[in-house]
Amino acid sequence: MFSASNIFDWFADPENWMGRYGLWNLISEHLVLSLGSIILAAGFALPIGILVGHLGKGQALVVGLSSVSRAIPTMGLLFALVMLLGINYRELAVTIALAAIAIPPILAGAYAGISAIEPATRISARAQGMKRAQLIWHVELPLAASSIIGGFRIAFIQVVSTVVLAPLVGLGGLGFGIIQGLALRDFAQVTASALVIVLLTISGDQLIGLAQNKTRVSIKQLTKRQVAKS
Amino acid sequence: MKKTSKLLIAGAAVAALTLSGCAQAESDPIVIGSQAYYSNEIIAEVYAQVLEDAGYTVDRQFSLGQRDVYVPALLAGEVDLFPEYTGNLLQYFDPSASQTAADEVYSALEAALPAGLTALAMSPASDQDSYNVTAEFASANNLVSIADLAKISGVKLGGAPELAERPYGPNGLKSTYGVTVEFEATGDTTVEALVAGLVNMANVYSADPRIQQLGLVTLADPAGLFLASNVVPIASDSVDQRARDLISAVSKAMSAEELVALNVRSVDEQLSAAQIAREWLLSKGLIS
Repeated sequence: MFSASNIFDWFADPENWMGRYGLWNLISEHLVLSLGSIILAAGFALPIGILVGHLGKGQALVVGLSSVSRAIPTMGLLFALVMLLGINYRELAVTIALAAIAIPPILAGAYAGISAIEPATRISARAQGMKRAQLIWHVELPLAASSIIGGFRIAFIQVVSTVVLAPLVGLGGLGFGIIQGLALRDFAQVTASALVIVLLTISGDQLIGLAQNKTRVSIKQLTKRQVAKS
Repeated sequence: MKKTSKLLIAGAAVAALTLSGCAQAESDPIVIGSQAYYSNEIIAEVYAQVLEDAGYTVDRQFSLGQRDVYVPALLAGEVDLFPEYTGNLLQYFDPSASQTAADEVYSALEAALPAGLTALAMSPASDQDSYNVTAEFASANNLVSIADLAKISGVKLGGAPELAERPYGPNGLKSTYGVTVEFEATGDTTVEALVAGLVNMANVYSADPRIQQLGLVTLADPAGLFLASNVVPIASDSVDQRARDLISAVSKAMSAEELVALNVRSVDEQLSAAQIAREWLLSKGLIS
């Protein structure tokens, strides 16, 4: 009744790729919504994570923010926001609801990366006459970069797989194929849409992983690099 | 001491088993199910109270979810009575059925039901797909029927994602009425999108209280684009003739306006299904 060849046929049909609810458009909507909410979350979580890590104070804030964001059910928050902001601002509602789940990993990545830097490193940087901003910019951020990107990696995976809720409030994204397919009992469409989300998630994860490895530096490498620059 | 307590427990267990056995034999309760949909639950509660008033024992198994879940339970004899909707149930058993008018759908459903299930009397009340516009849009464009839409262009139709592929969706509008619309999947926020003007026309269930509350105009469907879906009680063979007659009578007594009014009470006054059902039955003199 339903086999792998059905999924193949579904992908082979050009009609499923084109138009308002075709795959191309849904993929781009999916990515725009995901990236929008990750950027919003980063604007909020990065400064807090970096500052708390740098000052070594206010860890309770990090724990509190993470727990609160994690405890909120995304779907409930989504509908509440749509009702609160009005249907005309549903894009914003989805972006905020998704940002809420992207905040904890980004916050944790930034905080963990910076607070893990040894005090001796900071002291020697200050001893060389670095100002606070220089210390953060030239020493702490490069050393924590890999951990910060790791936070984005987790945020991306979580957000990309949760954007499927967007069609519930009339927005697109790859969840459309799943919600429509379930109602029509078109399991080829459901499976194909799910496969695209999985592919998107894995390739995004691998790409960010690559960046994470590229940015991983030791203090020795960092010092060499800085010396070469000056 | 230990021995006595053991004996006591064993005795109690035997007594309980015998007693429950007796109760089973005296009167098998009629198991009434309902969908996980408040309006359906009110109708199920109406059936339950009518039967209780006539001396039957009733077992309420409400909120059983979707057809895929409860139809097998009906067929297996785990549920005896269920409020259903003619058109949607017909499509479940016969996806290729082409009837849309209420009486034709009912006869087709009677033929399509598997052995062991019977459709009791159909109610004049229906809960089916319908196209709605705001009062302003209707008066600005002189809209009464779906056919009137042919005059205007650029109509945006909102509805659940699956509407795009339904026979009464954009393609059906084109072939039945010659109306071209642009489809916008508005999901669970369809009515909000209509009121906010994001779409001009929306697919809303005809018994939805918001049609009344927001003053929406339901466009007439003279060509039968939509599948009629009247409320209909589905009974298994274990429901006896007297109970069937009682349920058929109450089914026929519920008008379309009354069903909407019952739904409004649930949404507006937040009353329980049991209270809404009881007050309606009392007002109709169907229970005492």
